[in-house]
Amino acid sequence: MRKGFVLWFTGLSGSGKSTLSKMVEERLLERGVPVEVLDGDEVRLNLSKGLGFSKEDRDTNIRRIGYVAKLLSRNGACAITAAISPYREIRDEVRKSVQERAAFVEAYCECSIEKLVERDVKGLYKKALAGEIANFTGVSDPYEPPLNPEVVCHTGEETSEASLGRILKTLEMMDLIPKDPSAEYSAEEEAEVAKRLKDLGYLG
Amino acid sequence: MENRKKVFVFGIDCFEPSLVFEQWKKDLPNLSKLMEEGAWGRMESTLPPITVPAWTAMMTSKDPGQLGFYGFRNRKSYDYEELYFANGAYVREKTVWQILSRNRMSSVVLGVPQSYPPKPINGIVVGCFLTPDKNSVYTYPEEIAKEIDSIAEGDYIIDVKDFRTDDKSKLLEQIYVMTRRRFAVVRNWVKSKDWDFFMFVEMGVDRIHHGFWRYHDVNHRLYEKGHEFEFAIRDYYIYLDREIGKVLEILPPETTILVVSDHGAQTMDGAVCVNEFFRREGYLRLKEEPKKQQKLKTSGIDWSGTKCWGEGGYYSRIFMNVEGREPQGIIPKADYEKVRDEIKKKLEELGDENGNPIGTKVFKPEEVYREVKNIAPDLIVYFGNLGWRSAGSVGGGSIHTHENDTGPDDANHARFGLFMMKGGGVKPGKRDGVKIYDIAPTILDHFGIPEEKGMIGSKIE
Repeated sequence: MRKGFVLWFTGLSGSGKSTLSKMVEERLLERGVPVEVLDGDEVRLNLSKGLGFSKEDRDTNIRRIGYVAKLLSRNGACAITAAISPYREIRDEVRKSVQERAAFVEAYCECSIEKLVERDVKGLYKKALAGEIANFTGVSDPYEPPLNPEVVCHTGEETSEASLGRILKTLEMMDLIPKDPSAEYSAEEEAEVAKRLKDLGYLG
Repeated sequence: MENRKKVFVFGIDCFEPSLVFEQWKKDLPNLSKLMEEGAWGRMESTLPPITVPAWTAMMTSKDPGQLGFYGFRNRKSYDYEELYFANGAYVREKTVWQILSRNRMSSVVLGVPQSYPPKPINGIVVGCFLTPDKNSVYTYPEEIAKEIDSIAEGDYIIDVKDFRTDDKSKLLEQIYVMTRRRFAVVRNWVKSKDWDFFMFVEMGVDRIHHGFWRYHDVNHRLYEKGHEFEFAIRDYYIYLDREIGKVLEILPPETTILVVSDHGAQTMDGAVCVNEFFRREGYLRLKEEPKKQQKLKTSGIDWSGTKCWGEGGYYSRIFMNVEGREPQGIIPKADYEKVRDEIKKKLEELGDENGNPIGTKVFKPEEVYREVKNIAPDLIVYFGNLGWRSAGSVGGGSIHTHENDTGPDDANHARFGLFMMKGGGVKPGKRDGVKIYDIAPTILDHFGIPEEKGMIGSKIE
């Protein structure tokens, strides 16, 4: 059985965590990797209903996600998490716990606050800046970027396809997912195939 | 779990509709029964109707232009370099089994053309005949290679070896052994593997057509009544029907069953030496006069006097030498269409050796595909509407040849393959107008999955 792993996205709201987690999920499923996505918003609806946005509640939320991700990954699955997870200490705590039996891959979605305010897909930054949302990460609450993430996606500058490619490459290099094969034949292999097709009349 | 929907596809390369639906229908009880109980009909292949790109077009519902490959070999650039083989790694569009994997369904994919090198999926992939040999990693997962040999009498055969042998009995025997072993694997895996979708492609029919058609077809110029191989193809079809029957017996009852072929077969009248024709017409100049019939090498072409050259095979691809596009191009860009039309007209007008018309068809890629990705040939040619093959060699002194030294001249590919489908609520009866692109949406629909963006087929109702 292939080693399970947690792909832990972290980054500010709107930095592309959910989009990328969905894209990675699709690609991994296509390659036959068993995957589950623990999306921040969905987890808050199901696993962490009732929790608020105080530091304590946020820590509890992240610990719960980390716990479920750990259970999945130690059974050979890939658990993708897509919560802001702003505090370094909790992320490192989860990393340590997951690494007992599986791999931990931290994917940092790096995007400047200016860009996020400019994009503001959900309109949250506007409200936060106007003081209508309290404890908003990056505006009125801290975000601690990871110091040694396995992969950094510059989501403010690069396309989501480029970020996806970077993540898949990292997972391949860590031998956590099966690789797509190379297209190239060696000269001998090509000669073998050419002979067969020529004999059959496909080439001539 | 056992009530889940399943789809099983018998892919039979080159299965000829007129033989299955008409000529030998009564000799093929299992296939006839599928016809009675399901939908069936001819199925229009890709342009060109060639194994690559046809099977991938079937499994992606994309045309060759969208796929970006136009045959087994394609141009990588406008240089005069050798062509590359479009193996499975060049398939960028999603196949049915990748889409099913994405939807958490598992597949067994056995020998489907362009499945080498095998891409990882949720399930098993066994590479096709583009596998150089079994020393290559040709299965996913890799370790399944050992299992497949153990089921297949110790040696699973990907494709027949030494096809151009004079020992036809040995060739025939090899085709039977290959098929018998493949079906043993199919039956074993139908029962032992966990699958939602199962598809395999048997190459034996294509191989027997190319090797034995002259003995079977009374219209072939080399047909001899009473030849020992006169019924070789018919007997093999009967054998195949029995093998199909044995699989049908063990499929779970609710399985939707498809039988499909990528193209059909027709008799071949001869070969047109396309480059000899171009030389005679002043379109192609060689550095040296060939002393005997030989392969045209691009290194032997005098580009300063060459407007175009062609590739041989069951159809021909014409490449033009265009100024500013090819390294030593001589056709001014402004004249491209004029020269292309001129070449097209000349090829269409070329008759047989007695000047009788043969009905050659010539296509411009941008007129027959929805998109033209990568580098398409400038023209695609069906000599004698595929009644004649194309020989790429030069020398030999003649434009027309019936000799066997430019490739087998028994059967060529035909534009229509076939389909049969039983189950999944499809109404029994003959269908007209089904296209190869309709298969992928039909399979996805049976699993309740909407077709992918850009698919050009429609589900068979």
